[in-house]
Amino acid sequence: MNRPANMTELFEKLNDLKSVFRYGQKLIPIIQSLIDFMQETVPLLENINSSIADSTTKIPKASNQIADVTEATELATTEILDIVDLINSDIDSIEKDLKGLTEREKQKSKIIQKLTEAVKDNPEAKSLLINYEELNNEYEELNSVLSVLQKIKNDAYNITLSLQVQDITSQQLSAVNHLISGVQNKLSLLLVDFQETNNDELKTMKIAVPDDASFNPEARYGKDVSQQQLADSLVNNNGFRTTQDEIDKLFS
Amino acid sequence: MKKVVLVADDSPSIRKFVAFALSAKGFDIIPASDGMEALEKIPACKIDLIITDLNMPNLDGFELIKTIRNNNEYKETPIIILSSLSGSDEISKGLECGANSYLIKPFDPKRIIYEVSKYLN
Repeated sequence: MNRPANMTELFEKLNDLKSVFRYGQKLIPIIQSLIDFMQETVPLLENINSSIADSTTKIPKASNQIADVTEATELATTEILDIVDLINSDIDSIEKDLKGLTEREKQKSKIIQKLTEAVKDNPEAKSLLINYEELNNEYEELNSVLSVLQKIKNDAYNITLSLQVQDITSQQLSAVNHLISGVQNKLSLLLVDFQETNNDELKTMKIAVPDDASFNPEARYGKDVSQQQLADSLVNNNGFRTTQDEIDKLFS
Repeated sequence: MKKVVLVADDSPSIRKFVAFALSAKGFDIIPASDGMEALEKIPACKIDLIITDLNMPNLDGFELIKTIRNNNEYKETPIIILSSLSGSDEISKGLECGANSYLIKPFDPKRIIYEVSKYLN
């Protein structure tokens, strides 16, 4: 009795199955392209993985190189300062001697003037003394050497000013090292997650940035006086007053 | 008798710069590489003035100044901050901690001589 109805239901099911097969046929190329994509992507991901691993192992080396550069420039700077210090002491010593000579030249000149006055009635003696003074007084030359020495001293002073760039760059390099350390830590974690492995070597790989490293990432080398003026105004409000005139007076 | 200046800075070159500027003017320089070393050296040497950086390992400049000011013996010792930190917040904080002057790096050696002379001569 139910046979026709069963048959109808069977045909309906077969039609559904046919639709599924047709849909499957349409899906197959898509699935195939997905498989192709996966096949292409897997090596790419492996490449990325190995690149990250490679970068992660290289970062500490780069960081150590930065630290070495900082140390080397620090050493070189102090050596230059020592040399400038020696130059300055030598200049001071020469300056002292030259000032003594200048003073003696002045005294000699005064004596010759007195002698010239004393022999004013003897034109020949007077003329000889004038000639003597012209030939022997080195006052002008000594003063000229003293002013050259003063210039060398100023130049040495300016070298020390410029050398302060080392301190500023070392602070900036410390800041870069700190950033590198952060990147390295993130990459290590990413790599461990990526490989789903517990890679102890990567986890323990550390950059030699001391935990107590102190630096100012905003440190800048420049001759802008506005920041010092701001500091001075705040200090002045605190009860201590400083003016450029007072500083100049001390060195005049 | 020579006046004694303690210079606390973690940068050897800055300690050298300050010594370079001040030694020529007849001051004795005691170097310290951080705040802790400075605290150790202050009682050992008769310090007339302190120049300190702010960013230092172990004990920074702010803490060093506070510790010095909390000691009655050094309440009046002049303190000059020498730092690359140039924001008004840091300057104000340094002065509030008890510093007398604030110099910004890079500094003019003439200025540091002037500041030290202002307190010691």
